Amino acid sequence: MQQTLEDFFKVVRSAGVNVSIADSIETCKTVELVGYSDRGILKDALALSLAKTQDEKEKLYECFDQFFSFDAFQKTALIDDEKASAEKPSTESQPVEEKMTAEQAMAEYSGDLELAKMLLRKDKAELAQSMKKAAREVGITDIWLFTQKGINTQKIMNEMGLRELNQEIALLGRGDCPAERALAGALRTAQKYLFQEVRNFVEQQLAMFGKTASQKIHEDFLKSSRLSNIEKHDFQVMIKIVRKMAKRLSSIHSKKRKRKDRGKLDFRKTLRSNVAYDGVMFNIFWKSKVVDKPRILALCDISPSVSSYSRFLLLFLYSLSDVLDRIDTSVFTNSLIDVNDIFEEYPVQKAVDKIVNELGMGGSDYGNTLLDLKNDYMDKIDNKTTVIILGDARNNNLAPQTEVMKLLYQRAKRVIWLTPEMESFWGTGDSEMLKYKPYCSIVKECNTINHLEQMVDTILKVSAQAA
Amino acid sequence: MKDLYEDTFQSVEDIQQQFELHNYICSRQIATCTYIAYNLQKPVMVEGPAGVGKTELAKTTAEILGVPLVRLQCYEGLDESKALYEWKYGKQLLYTQLLKDKLSEVLDGATGLRESMAKLESHDDLFFSEGFLEPRPLYQALREEHGCVLLIDEIDKSDHEFEAFLLEILSEFQVSIPELGTLGAKIKPLVFLTSNNTREMSDALKRRCLHLHIDFPDEKLERRIINKRVPKLSETLRGEVVSFVQQVRELDIKKAPSISETIDWAKTLLLLHTEHLENQVVKETLNVILKFEEDIDAVNEQLTQFIKKAQLKKR
Repeated sequence: MQQTLEDFFKVVRSAGVNVSIADSIETCKTVELVGYSDRGILKDALALSLAKTQDEKEKLYECFDQFFSFDAFQKTALIDDEKASAEKPSTESQPVEEKMTAEQAMAEYSGDLELAKMLLRKDKAELAQSMKKAAREVGITDIWLFTQKGINTQKIMNEMGLRELNQEIALLGRGDCPAERALAGALRTAQKYLFQEVRNFVEQQLAMFGKTASQKIHEDFLKSSRLSNIEKHDFQVMIKIVRKMAKRLSSIHSKKRKRKDRGKLDFRKTLRSNVAYDGVMFNIFWKSKVVDKPRILALCDISPSVSSYSRFLLLFLYSLSDVLDRIDTSVFTNSLIDVNDIFEEYPVQKAVDKIVNELGMGGSDYGNTLLDLKNDYMDKIDNKTTVIILGDARNNNLAPQTEVMKLLYQRAKRVIWLTPEMESFWGTGDSEMLKYKPYCSIVKECNTINHLEQMVDTILKVSAQAA
Repeated sequence: MKDLYEDTFQSVEDIQQQFELHNYICSRQIATCTYIAYNLQKPVMVEGPAGVGKTELAKTTAEILGVPLVRLQCYEGLDESKALYEWKYGKQLLYTQLLKDKLSEVLDGATGLRESMAKLESHDDLFFSEGFLEPRPLYQALREEHGCVLLIDEIDKSDHEFEAFLLEILSEFQVSIPELGTLGAKIKPLVFLTSNNTREMSDALKRRCLHLHIDFPDEKLERRIINKRVPKLSETLRGEVVSFVQQVRELDIKKAPSISETIDWAKTLLLLHTEHLENQVVKETLNVILKFEEDIDAVNEQLTQFIKKAQLKKR
């Protein structure tokens, strides 16, 4: 049973529930205590010790039902005698003996091949057991791609004794005795059913064990592919990835808010609270320093060529709201539009969609945008603000207004420019990137979700160090 | 007084029966959880909306086992000195003052600083002994002679630091006090942690616990609970009350009424000698089960319909 439990852990893991070694040891103890006799109690016990959230519990229940279902060989008419023979058209010129019953067949069969006996006896339970044993031998739990279906089916069949069965059938079929020939026919039919069953079983196993593996491959692919190339139907997956990354980042950075119990002694506070003890310092207070959360002003180009990058940057930033003090967002194509109200009104995802779809049209004009920034936003920017500009700096040969960039650089804490273009393209054609570059703290190529994550990580890190 | 683990729970059914005797109707899942926790001596993390009986579970368990319940209410800023132990500073100061005169006796005949120090050091560290220790709930729970049920209530309200601090206690059932050394539990307490999910608990803490989620009960279970808790309520009214509350829970409201609120409402109706749910009575007592003005308005809109349905159902 130990093996079964381990297999079950594997299934649960592949469903996305984290099961550590320690968890599995504890769970084994639990199962030992409650026993296997009551399915309901076993299910509850596993859920109690393996799943750590309500969500995980539901996944686990699903896995439990799937894993501990014993329906192999139950559905098919492996050997529903009447039906099987009724389906056989008489034109196949099979002898009448074909219709012999299980007992007859058993009596006729004089060989000692276990598989053949089982098939003739039509013993579903035993067949299922033998199949599961064979599956374990060949390591079915390691299956994780659909291409492995065929080979695994074959391996299980071989393990169960397919080769010997074939020899037996050939041997029986060669003889002259009609009873033996009928036996061979019966075995051949049974073998086909067996194949179907095993294949079904392998498919089920793939569905259980291969789920995360293929998901993970897909996610890895998405993380490293250019944001502009991501298909619309993958957006949901991307949003999940972004959330996951954001959660990770915020848990890393959220703990550094305060430095306590070290550094300088807060003398005044200490004296005040120890007056009661005659000035003997029992309670000591340290000067604590609150680490500033970064304040961010994001300027996103939403002209069609870069809108998909802006979409994910915004999604990322707004998922990080608990580690950021304040996010101001403006978008532009040829002039700057404040979109904070849209973010306040709608949930992030919807807001981003709305912005990109409704406001993003026309060619970009960075010069004009920077002028807008100068006129309307400069007073919002101080030495705590990190300005993030996302765009390709392709200005359609209009005036670049670099002096505004200079002013911005002087005022803000940091100016970060993210461009989807590779460095070798900067400054080619109508790109003004090289002119803006001197007035940015960081200019970075940023075109995959991995880049985005690194960049946000840097912003948070620098602000923690600066304090 | 018997020990905590002396008289074991025999089986899951046994627990269900014993709890019922103590007026706590529990689902099989809750019973299984208690059974495992008791036999493997593992802490239980209980999650679920407010008022579904999380705290009550710990109380009842303590009652059945006949051991004291030690309760630690968590809040923001809770730290070691409030949860584990604190030195009795006042007493220490007072004693030093009082014993000042005795100092010369102790130092009798010592000449020079070095000799005096040596003499002082040869005495025990009296001021940092258990006599000067102010035990707080966690310390109390560990030192309880016959074991106890330890309830750490609303753990989600505490800080990250406190959560990390709990890890040692929950896995080893011991605490380190620098002046005294490491103290282990006399008998491992049965620990219940409750959480309203206002924040996600760390994986390390979750790993050490069994995770139990208690949700609102279904209609049948709730009727049984009301029957136990408010036995004087007539059967018809009980059916109506439960059915009505169940319908309210399905609405999209700020705070859905929980079991404790259903019980309160049943008691209120009993007090008012109500026999059947009627518009007027329900309207007047709706504030017992609903705690927000908006929620009351939302339910008022469908009041007649709900009552009608409730009356139909009980038949």
